[in-house]
Amino acid sequence: MESESKRKKESPNTAELAVTASFPDEVLEIVLSLLTSHRDRSSVSLVCKDWYRAERWSRTQVFIGNCYSVSPEILTRRFPNIRSVTLKGKPRFSDFNLVPPNWGADIHAWLVAFAAKYPFLEELRLKRMAVSDESLEFLASNFPNFKLLSLLSCDGFSTDGLAAIATHCKNLTELDIQENGIEDSSGSWLSCFPESFTSLEVLNFANLTSEVNTDALERLVSRCKSLKVLKVNKSISLEQLQRLLVRAPQLEELGTGSFLQDLTARPYADLESAFNNCKNIHTLSGLWEAVPLYLPALYNSCANLTFLNLSYTALQSGEFAKLVVHCPRLRRLWILDTVEDKGLEAVGSNCPLLEELRVFPADPFDEEIIHGVTEEGFVAVSFGCRRLHYVLYFCRQMTNAAVATIVQNCPNFTHFRLCIMTPGLPDYLTNEPMDEAFGAVVKTCSKLQRLSVSGLLTDLTFEYIGKYAKNLETLSVAFAGRSDRGMQCVLEGCPKLRKLEIRDCPFGNEALLSGLEKYESMRSLWMSACNVTMNACRRLAKQMPRLNVEVMKEDGSDDSQADKVYIYRTVAGPRRDAPPSVLTL
Amino acid sequence: MIFSSSSSSPSLAAAVSNNNERRDLMSTCTDLNLGLSISLSPEQRQRLDWPPIKSLLRSTLNKLAEKADENDGRHHHSQQYGSLFVKVYMEGIPIGRKLDLFAHHGYNALVTTLSHMFTIKTTNILCPDDSDDHGRVVHSSSKDYQYVLTYQDKEGDWMMVGDVPWEMFLTTVKRLKITRAGRCHS
Repeated sequence: MESESKRKKESPNTAELAVTASFPDEVLEIVLSLLTSHRDRSSVSLVCKDWYRAERWSRTQVFIGNCYSVSPEILTRRFPNIRSVTLKGKPRFSDFNLVPPNWGADIHAWLVAFAAKYPFLEELRLKRMAVSDESLEFLASNFPNFKLLSLLSCDGFSTDGLAAIATHCKNLTELDIQENGIEDSSGSWLSCFPESFTSLEVLNFANLTSEVNTDALERLVSRCKSLKVLKVNKSISLEQLQRLLVRAPQLEELGTGSFLQDLTARPYADLESAFNNCKNIHTLSGLWEAVPLYLPALYNSCANLTFLNLSYTALQSGEFAKLVVHCPRLRRLWILDTVEDKGLEAVGSNCPLLEELRVFPADPFDEEIIHGVTEEGFVAVSFGCRRLHYVLYFCRQMTNAAVATIVQNCPNFTHFRLCIMTPGLPDYLTNEPMDEAFGAVVKTCSKLQRLSVSGLLTDLTFEYIGKYAKNLETLSVAFAGRSDRGMQCVLEGCPKLRKLEIRDCPFGNEALLSGLEKYESMRSLWMSACNVTMNACRRLAKQMPRLNVEVMKEDGSDDSQADKVYIYRTVAGPRRDAPPSVLTL
Repeated sequence: MIFSSSSSSPSLAAAVSNNNERRDLMSTCTDLNLGLSISLSPEQRQRLDWPPIKSLLRSTLNKLAEKADENDGRHHHSQQYGSLFVKVYMEGIPIGRKLDLFAHHGYNALVTTLSHMFTIKTTNILCPDDSDDHGRVVHSSSKDYQYVLTYQDKEGDWMMVGDVPWEMFLTTVKRLKITRAGRCHS
């Protein structure tokens, strides 16, 4: 007995090898196919060659956070069986017009590769990509099993492209068009769904503007019995909405059209009854131009609501308070700051299950307006909603003490995005920098993944971040910091940092060059309006061949300054499709 | 440049002098020493890249702001300072009065004001006796009233006040009239 175990101990490696060699690939593939998280799959593929092979054959979904980090050729070579692709393109600051037009991230080359290698592609989710009508037509014609198209913050296409999708994709289950720079010439695309087409489950055209044929829409909704998500655009009136609801009582997510119409008593009652009949609605949005008048029609529906998106509705505090009383199960709330602190107090009092709050500014550009929300509203929510972990808050004043209280009440923040709208504004009561506020956030919220800072900040804020924010993955900084040391603290201190975006900060070459190896462990770095020079960028590019270093020059600026820098890791080498305004170093 | 040489730290001042144009926003907003915030100029207000709001929301909010400016306060009574004055006549009295409906939060308040204006007892006006949660009126048919409160709506029809929710009433009412009870059959 003992000698046997000794023998086994003497040659453990050969014994192990024998075990793994007898484990068939097919079995391993089946086991691995149960893994869905792309991060888990990445880890698995690194274990050994056998696992790498099994993983690549069994993977059906792929997520690419930066379309230039890999090429279509490399992707299709490694993964032969992909059915679902998610691609993100432009840097996030392109949302705020900081990226030049024609920057890139064109989907077309990918589609051509997919048509050859993934003819059975079913799902495509794109964010911040350039998509042309030609690409949409190509997509519609080359993938017979195509089911799901989601376009978020993309641009370059028009409703003609959508018409192609509606016409040719016979198996479409989801068409989700959100916040795109789209040329909306006509609503006739909706009428292109054939009468025989019944598979739609998700339809979101909320951000388009053209009128669609309401008869065609009604018929479409009637025959698609599995429709769960319907988000219409502003052109759909309340009366039309009522007719749609009556035909789709199974809806789970609803985006209304315009909530402003002269309804006499009977149609109002019909509307209320139609809402009452949709017992499964858990997500509500739209409500364009809603006048509080008709909101009572929603009250009964609100009882089961978990996500309420009022970012296009300017409600005052009283009206909003009356509505929110009816939403005890709310977990996610997006509102405009017209509800003011009183409105937020109502949230704190009525929504104990709240996990996510986003407050957008209704009038972001007027400095003299004394409306909006202050630190008091945020504090009130934190007292009432202890499960709060995601916040995006636009305000005009804040104090260190308030933030300290907030994170004491809600220590589980994973996403803390605070935007004090006047750049460089100190604590308005003490006139001190806001360093201690963000210090409190990173010290208390150990699960923090995403942080956006604002207000008057010295390097101390970044020392705190580097020291305490051990789970931080995304950091956004604007108009903050005093010296290179600030940025260095972050680069040296945050082990899980993936995305760093910086604008208008006094960080220069020393800071940039202190992060050389770090950038290979990150998805990307953005620096604009800082103090980085072309020479430093060239040095960085030379020393780190696996990084792409791209500089966007602004007209009339100093030749030696690198106005906007975008650095990202890649296995695909420098890109060849950059416009003239983007220099690849 | 608004930073004073004594207040800013050396590195920030250097940074500022390197990036004159781009620092405009920051420099006109903050005096580090005093912590004052100075208003943005109109050009700065129209910046497309700050605050960080997505383009679609930005343009929608602009349209909302324009609409609020344009309208006459009728449909956007959510504005704090709007008013809606309508004429009120009492049957038999040729000279009418004017009343701000927005200054009232419901039918009860309206009736109270009218009774003061025309020195009638509130209990003599047929109008909200009880109202349900939505501010709608429940008429009690058993009582005898001297007066009935009516209104002319957008379509020109004369209707009894109190049938629809208060907010809905506000969108259609053009004028009010207090008539003697005998004239409208209830």
